[in-house]
Amino acid sequence: MIDMATGRDDDRKGIERELKRGSLELIVLHLLSHGEAYGYEIVTALTERTNGGLEVTDGTLYPVLYRLERAGFVAIRWETPQRGVPRKYYRLTEAGQAELARLTQEWNAFADAMARLLRQQPEKS
Amino acid sequence: MNADETYIDQVIAQLPPRDARLRDQVAMELRSHIAERVEHGQTVEDALRQFGDPIVLAESYLAAIPLIAAPFWPRAAARLIDFFGVLAIVAMPIIGIVVLTLWREQGFLIPIAIIFTIVVLSILSAIYPVIAEYRYGKTVGKHLMGLRVVRESGARISFGQAVVRQLPMLTQVWWIDMLFALFTDKHQRAFEMLSKTRVVVAREEQS
Repeated sequence: MIDMATGRDDDRKGIERELKRGSLELIVLHLLSHGEAYGYEIVTALTERTNGGLEVTDGTLYPVLYRLERAGFVAIRWETPQRGVPRKYYRLTEAGQAELARLTQEWNAFADAMARLLRQQPEKS
Repeated sequence: MNADETYIDQVIAQLPPRDARLRDQVAMELRSHIAERVEHGQTVEDALRQFGDPIVLAESYLAAIPLIAAPFWPRAAARLIDFFGVLAIVAMPIIGIVVLTLWREQGFLIPIAIIFTIVVLSILSAIYPVIAEYRYGKTVGKHLMGLRVVRESGARISFGQAVVRQLPMLTQVWWIDMLFALFTDKHQRAFEMLSKTRVVVAREEQS
């Protein structure tokens, strides 16, 4: 199931996965900064806002939300309908907003540096 | 049982057996997320495909909960408790045999009884932890010392892992394996590193 990813194709996917994993908390915090939402809304909002450029499966998203919840960055609320399954709503806490600001700044600094690096042409001697 | 409840059970089965709060929390959450997709016109199967492999999902949830490596001395104490527990159970019939043979003046049976004790004791000392750690995530000794055995991810260990953990106990050099726990990062024995398991401090029923 895991630890089996040794093929070349898997390696390339692995890099993409690592990049995503590193930025996933930032993505989720950012999406929640638009207001309270439940899980499915968060998944579809990501696809819509990036025109499908970024996608996340439920299996990846919900453990991240759980981690953010435990860390106090996200607060949850259960809404119990008349009939059917209770729905879990997520929203940013104040600590979550501060974390979002911090991660955004970090990400921008990183992206700027990468852009500067990749713009540089090899020097001809 | 429905596909969704079967799947949820598979996820829950990987979580610490005694942490009812976490198990309920995750089960309720998964049910809720499946319902969201169903309400948006998707099938339960679609929703489950989104979750992926149940063991990987359980491990992703567990990654949110930091594990605290069990210190060396409580672990040694747990091992001693288990050893003397097994010894007490094995010794009783053996003492009976010895007393009986002395009484009947059949002294030649005593060496046989002693060898029998040693063999049974060493086998049981290795077999008991395999079964207990696989079924309950801990032995009586570990329970008393507030410890439990998990995969490196925090998930429940498999039977194979439970066996590999105890292999050194069948050899004369188990103490070398044990000494590794003094020096390794996560206080793992050599065969714990090999089996990708570790012993952690049990913290049940906390948020």
